[in-house]
Amino acid sequence: MNPTLLEEVPPPRRTPVRGVRETLQRRGARPSGRTYALLRWAGATLFASVVLALVVSLLVSSSQAFGHSGLSFFWSGTYNASKSIYPTGIFIIGTLITTTVAIVLAVPVGVGTAALLSEFAPKWLAGPLSIMIDLIAAVPSIVVGLWGLLVLTPVFAHHVEPFLKKVPVVEWFFHGAALGPSMLLAGTVLAVMILPTIVALSRTALASVAVEDREAARALGATRWQVVRTAVVPGARTGIEAAATLAVGRALGETIAVAMVIGNTYVLPHSLLAPGATLGSAIINNFAEASPGLDRSSVIGLVVVLLVMTALVNIGGQLLLRSRLRVKAA
Amino acid sequence: MSIAVLPGDPGELTDPIGTRRELVRNSARRSLARRRLLGRIAIGLCVAATAVSLTPLVALAAYTTGRGLHALSWGFLTHIPTPPGIPGGGISNAIVGSVVIVGLASAMAIPVGIMAALFLIERRGRTANGLRFAADVLTGVPSIAIGIFAYAVFVEPLGHFSGLAGSFALAVLMSPIVIRASEAAMQSVPRDLWEAGLALGIRRSRVVRSVVLRGALPGLVTGNLLAVARAVGETAPLLFTVLGSQLFETNPLQPMAAMPLAIYSDSTAAFPAAQQIAWGAAFVLLVLVLVLSVVARLVSSRLNRQAH
Repeated sequence: MNPTLLEEVPPPRRTPVRGVRETLQRRGARPSGRTYALLRWAGATLFASVVLALVVSLLVSSSQAFGHSGLSFFWSGTYNASKSIYPTGIFIIGTLITTTVAIVLAVPVGVGTAALLSEFAPKWLAGPLSIMIDLIAAVPSIVVGLWGLLVLTPVFAHHVEPFLKKVPVVEWFFHGAALGPSMLLAGTVLAVMILPTIVALSRTALASVAVEDREAARALGATRWQVVRTAVVPGARTGIEAAATLAVGRALGETIAVAMVIGNTYVLPHSLLAPGATLGSAIINNFAEASPGLDRSSVIGLVVVLLVMTALVNIGGQLLLRSRLRVKAA
Repeated sequence: MSIAVLPGDPGELTDPIGTRRELVRNSARRSLARRRLLGRIAIGLCVAATAVSLTPLVALAAYTTGRGLHALSWGFLTHIPTPPGIPGGGISNAIVGSVVIVGLASAMAIPVGIMAALFLIERRGRTANGLRFAADVLTGVPSIAIGIFAYAVFVEPLGHFSGLAGSFALAVLMSPIVIRASEAAMQSVPRDLWEAGLALGIRRSRVVRSVVLRGALPGLVTGNLLAVARAVGETAPLLFTVLGSQLFETNPLQPMAAMPLAIYSDSTAAFPAAQQIAWGAAFVLLVLVLVLSVVARLVSSRLNRQAH
């Protein structure tokens, strides 16, 4: 063997292990293995019991209302002491409408933005814009709600809603007076709220598609757009769907901002311009005044309905994600 | 743009082959032109989408900043609210309330969350998967449900609203974020380092403290700061627990003021002076949340630079 070759072998890298050993020897190890195991178990048990307690406590608190009305609670709610009604069905419909409006507005726009930022825009533009959108994702929903209430409401009442009533075909959805607070406004505020999340998550999903996939498409003669359509978007589909699912969950569960702009009337909405109520806004507006007993129990019943809806969306999204991953792995 | 040249000596070309070559070339050219046009339209749509999504986001931030700066003054930050109709007044009680409530929530959620994350790291299998599932489910639970839960376990038995009940609600809200972020951070510590520590005959708890927690520190800081930033801005969990207050209250056993609650009650008040206060509080809250997120980002980008 050539001795010069041996000499050229670099000395073994200083591994962090040495630093580790020094740290550990400097201060003696105390016999605390059992304490550590105990702490670990305590943390896990505490967390699990809180989650369990949350579900059980809400179910117990609402059992009176469900016991009183049975399955009809899911449509007509419960009569309370002052003879006002909590029409669960109307709240569910309101929740579904506002969420649908938000998703229809935010998903195409958000995915388009993500595609531009991750695929087409030059780096000097995409970098700062992405950071900006990531930061805006942290804006608290109360601030979005405040802006919706004080700024968007007059704009919608005087400009957007009268305009939509004039557009042919589209106006079919926009009957009734343009008041400002409406299903449309609530959906728009929700869309603004979920948009940064959709952009940030879809951008990550698009950017994580392998370079080889893009190069293969490029080598077959695809234009830049065709690369995105045929290679990048299919590869990122799972991630984009996960982003949309998360956005749906957030839109369903948002309460405060919606309560500020939806108008809070408890009648079946006949158009997107009609004011209405969602499960979340109804809970916010009624819980404080509800008297203990059946009244409060009915409001907590609304919380349970909302919980079930968001849980279904989230679990559905997780299952979707897992099944896709399994197909990919196979 | 060059089209692939067909093989063959140009001198041998007869007329029909030349025509065919011309046909192929033309159709390729037409196809490329069509595909490029389509691409340009698609990219144009993406640009339009970006403009549409940036407009409300920028307008929201700019409007809050503009109106907020208008309301901001030294007195605004150091005084408590005045009764309706009397000018002046500030949000010092709300700022202090938010800090106390979120501080207590962090003191509850972060140790428990890190311990639970260690449990996930050390123990694989069904129990860990169940816990992970519980964390995922809790992440999706609407914050109002957490608020009502805190009302049921804290406010109803004690008979009065308190800052502590709000802290508990925020801690429940933060814990799944803390758990998943801490787990990810600790998973990034190489397995070799664990094993090296253990091979030296050192107790597990010591290895975790000196190797794992220290190695994962930047990730832990980032994840927990993001959880805190999320908790500061939450309104729904505080509405039926903390209640809100016009007084300067630092005792967490009493109803307290908090910034999101101040914004909510002032924004729905009809007179402009209250709306002014709402904008000021919204701006302060926005700055606080953005500072927390930026610091979290800086810590994680420093971590990435060190790793490379």
